Amino acid sequence: MTSNRRSTERRPALQVPFDLIAVAAAATLLYFVPELLKLVFDKASVSYLSLVTNALTLAILALSWDILARTGQLSLAHAAFFGAGAYATAILGKLTGWPLWLGIPFGGVVAVVLALLLGSVTLRLRGIYFAIATLAFTEVLRAVVQQLPTAIAGGSAGINISPLFRPTFVPGEMDRWEIAFTRNEHYFLVYAGILLFTILISIYLQRSRLRSAFTAIRTNEEVAAVMGVYPAGHKLLAFALSSLVVGFLGAVQAHRIGSVSPDSTFGIGTTVFALVTPIFGGLYTTLGPIIGAGVLAGVEETLKRTFQEGYLIGYGLVLVLSILFMPRGILGVINGLVKRLRGEGPPADPDHELPGERDSE
Amino acid sequence: MDLSLLLQGIVSGVLASGLYALVSVGLALAIGVIGIINFAHGEFFMIGAFLAYQLFVSFGADPVLSLFFVAPGLFLIGAVIYRSSIQYVLKAPELNQMLLTFGIGIILQNLALVIWGGDPVSISNVPYRSVGWQIAGVSVGAVPLFSFLISLVIVGGLYYVLLRTRLGRAMRAVAQNRTGASLVGLEVNRIYLIAFALSAALAGLGGVMIAVIQSPTPTVGFAFTLKAFAIVVLAGLGNIRGIVWASLAVALSESLVATLVPDGDVLRNAVFFAIIFIVLIARSRRVA
Repeated sequence: MTSNRRSTERRPALQVPFDLIAVAAAATLLYFVPELLKLVFDKASVSYLSLVTNALTLAILALSWDILARTGQLSLAHAAFFGAGAYATAILGKLTGWPLWLGIPFGGVVAVVLALLLGSVTLRLRGIYFAIATLAFTEVLRAVVQQLPTAIAGGSAGINISPLFRPTFVPGEMDRWEIAFTRNEHYFLVYAGILLFTILISIYLQRSRLRSAFTAIRTNEEVAAVMGVYPAGHKLLAFALSSLVVGFLGAVQAHRIGSVSPDSTFGIGTTVFALVTPIFGGLYTTLGPIIGAGVLAGVEETLKRTFQEGYLIGYGLVLVLSILFMPRGILGVINGLVKRLRGEGPPADPDHELPGERDSE
Repeated sequence: MDLSLLLQGIVSGVLASGLYALVSVGLALAIGVIGIINFAHGEFFMIGAFLAYQLFVSFGADPVLSLFFVAPGLFLIGAVIYRSSIQYVLKAPELNQMLLTFGIGIILQNLALVIWGGDPVSISNVPYRSVGWQIAGVSVGAVPLFSFLISLVIVGGLYYVLLRTRLGRAMRAVAQNRTGASLVGLEVNRIYLIAFALSAALAGLGGVMIAVIQSPTPTVGFAFTLKAFAIVVLAGLGNIRGIVWASLAVALSESLVATLVPDGDVLRNAVFFAIIFIVLIARSRRVA
């Protein structure tokens, strides 16, 4: 603990922004992923591209959930913001003739408005009470959307949406499968853009004083308030940033899937994966949720191909074993290994202390 | 307003509350005594339903008889799960416990899907399924009535155990102060084991009833996990006595909306969660 403190005091004035350089490198790499897949797998690249795309969406969900969780708010409302974004663009497309892509920022804005409404009434709720309230909010929102006039939101049948991209087929120059590939390639790049945006938000939060504020609020809200941190403002900020990204994601996903409906768009799966992935990868970090998303998407796909029926049993086993043997997630394991290689003791960074660790009662 | 319709709504609501109480009280036990946020609770309920169904198909066992086999069966399953995983995360953060129990839930649900398939099953041809009575214009089915009475007896029995027996006193002691309880010689881990297994058994008993009342699929569990959580939270964490009242309030309002409001079936879920939301928000304002 003490050695750690000292090292922060000795921090040099000028720091190389390794994280930003890494992000730039990753962004460049991401840009070439579709072409690379095409080169290596040829026809099979369609399914690989969709796997990578799924990993990206999972990473966006996970990282945005983590941003919110850094303030101690364990939200079960990610499906609500996702659905809000999806429905926002669907309704906009249905009622107006505006360009389709406008639906994406609109989806983000609608999600933020809802998040601020929810966030401001749940400010005083903690832990599981907060979780259940946000879950209840999602279910109520789903019912409200279903009850809206059919002319607007399509009732329980939902709305069909036009795709954002319609690549044209050039006979002779491209194969049939390349249409699907090109369409997915466009979506891939959009998701990659959203993920980058999320990563930049996350890095900003981690590098600025907001990180200390968030950590203080998560660890002990009363103490944080006494020390001069304004909990309500910070909690709402986290809520707004987190839901903005999820709103974008919901809007794009709606166009990719081609329809929205209360049951599928507000499905609990979105909420659950948003929560599971960061815990699996490593909470309260930028890298953890992303690693978690990559590994989980890969694990799920591998299990699905190997076992077909009942492959989710294996998925559940992976989750159980990961909690039993690596309670700090994948990143925790990596950090532990790095520390051991350097010959240091176990990690003592106060920021990485397990969240909500109980006092020995 | 049609008075008999109102009466019908009230009666159905009261009868439905028994099952809710039975499932939620198990979850409250896990949360109150062990302090574990168990997201697999609804899966115990689902397993109970399918065990009863299997007993019925294989041996023609009456569901009432199945109760006596399913309860020990789930007690055993609960005990095994506690010993193999839960006991290692007792001091871990809430989020880790949630992920662990969620993983267990996925395993149980998909095991059931592999074994029994995804179609709804139901114990349909028991003689008393269609029996019912008309009292003052209100129809009362034998199945809801008896499932209510049986639930009442079981929940009452649990309260008796908790309040009047040595085991119950031990459980309350452990719930209040873990260290203190072990200082006076209680085997905390064993009491946790019993509480967790008991919690699974209670959910399983509820499952037997749902197999007669409705036609469950292996995915029914998670919805009941959420409902049970909502009821437990409504009652207040660790408040096992409040469960009965919370179940009654929720079941009554659900059933009144379903019977009185046209199109009410769609709104049922929304009303359930709207109540939870409003109560939670209102309570958080009052405290401060």
